[in-house]
Amino acid sequence: MDSKIANNRNILIAVDESENAKRAVLYVKDLLAGLSGFHITLITIIPEPPEDYFMSESEKTEWVKDKNVSARRIIEGYHKIFSEAGFREEDVKSHAVMKKCASIAECILNEKDNLACGTVVIGRRGISKKEEFIFGSTSSKILHTAKDCSIWVIE
Amino acid sequence: MQEITQTDQKQFSREELRERIAHWMGPERVPKKFSIITDTTDFYRVDYDDVVILGEIPYLIRNNEREGRFGIDDQQKYWVKRARDLSDGSVKIIKLVFHERFQSKVGGITFDCFRSPQKEARILDLTKGHPRFMQGFALKDSSNNVIRIIDYIRGKTLADAVLKYGQDHEDYFYNYFPSIFDEYMELVEAIRFLHEHDDKHGDIRRDHIIREEGTGNSRWIDFDFDYLHKENVFGYDLFGLGNILTYLTGRGDVTSQLLQQASSPLISHLTEHDMNIIFNNRVVNLKKVYPYVPAELNNILLHFSMAANVFYDNTGQLLNDLNEARVKLNKP
Repeated sequence: MDSKIANNRNILIAVDESENAKRAVLYVKDLLAGLSGFHITLITIIPEPPEDYFMSESEKTEWVKDKNVSARRIIEGYHKIFSEAGFREEDVKSHAVMKKCASIAECILNEKDNLACGTVVIGRRGISKKEEFIFGSTSSKILHTAKDCSIWVIE
Repeated sequence: MQEITQTDQKQFSREELRERIAHWMGPERVPKKFSIITDTTDFYRVDYDDVVILGEIPYLIRNNEREGRFGIDDQQKYWVKRARDLSDGSVKIIKLVFHERFQSKVGGITFDCFRSPQKEARILDLTKGHPRFMQGFALKDSSNNVIRIIDYIRGKTLADAVLKYGQDHEDYFYNYFPSIFDEYMELVEAIRFLHEHDDKHGDIRRDHIIREEGTGNSRWIDFDFDYLHKENVFGYDLFGLGNILTYLTGRGDVTSQLLQQASSPLISHLTEHDMNIIFNNRVVNLKKVYPYVPAELNNILLHFSMAANVFYDNTGQLLNDLNEARVKLNKP
């Protein structure tokens, strides 16, 4: 069992390049600007395709490099939003995590545990029922499986 | 990752190959001219009557395999060859390397797909000796291409086989469907086996189940397809399993068009909630069409309907419900 004790003031925001992620970031920024004692971690998960996807090692290396660059660009952009709103540098951290994810929701919740965050913020993409049926919904899965934390789903 | 060994390709003289072809195919079938191939990279150049040597074994190439899909004319798969194993005369399917990436669209949803010889090779190894999967092995040709040598399965698709059962649907449902349902459950168990090993079939559809003549075993075929999953890694496989169950229960697709053509009064009782969530013309609420379909079975089908709010996440959940439904079959 993880010995880290989650703190509700440690807030994890799961982001990607979508508009809904941006909404989640802006919501937290507006809600907490000017308040002290909150620590924010921006995280973007880069699901690594299966080995079979790549035709060669060099192709995989190139793919990893490209994805890391774009992930850094995304979280640096969001980081800047907090900086410009007056959040202290030490209160806002950002990580890009590349890993094999059977489920992105599980990867986000694992990071939540690793970072001892008591609050997880996600944007809801508003996928169709058909898409949820075939591919599942990350926000629904987080809502249904998260434990020992609060979940904010930003519409 | 499974290591596929590259073995040296054994040398054969033309005379020796001619003798082998004559032995297994008959002297009249010995081609006057043929190429001997050990590098299959350019699969378009691997042609009828050529001999491909893979490891210790020469294979006489016959026709390209074809794949039909939902009434569209069969398409030749140039990278999939039917062949004769010139060591024992058996018929094989030889799958050469064809990497492709493309976007598939199902019900308006687009997703990334790819074809992977390594995936198929790994699953062949994993399912060696399993009665519900096609059998074969993988090895590398002289250019390191991962070639799959697959035992040819003589037989029809399970989907075609069920169409001939029963004088009418009711006869089919009471007298044949229970054993087909058992067969289906074993096929779902087989997919669970894959999922438990972190692999997916990737292209579950009814023409990817062949019922083998002789043994009567239905086997899954073709594992080289894959897709980049989103939240639910097995969701697309489960969707395929649901479609097959609906087809088997209905003894074919029951579509709104068919009911209309038959001037069925049922058509006015169907709503969009009774239809497949992706293929909106297919009825999944089959109890409305065939009232003797037990509720337990129909409830499974409704997980694949427009009305569904709860979806299967894994094969274990589906199998639990199938087991409950099974006890209600066979009881007119």
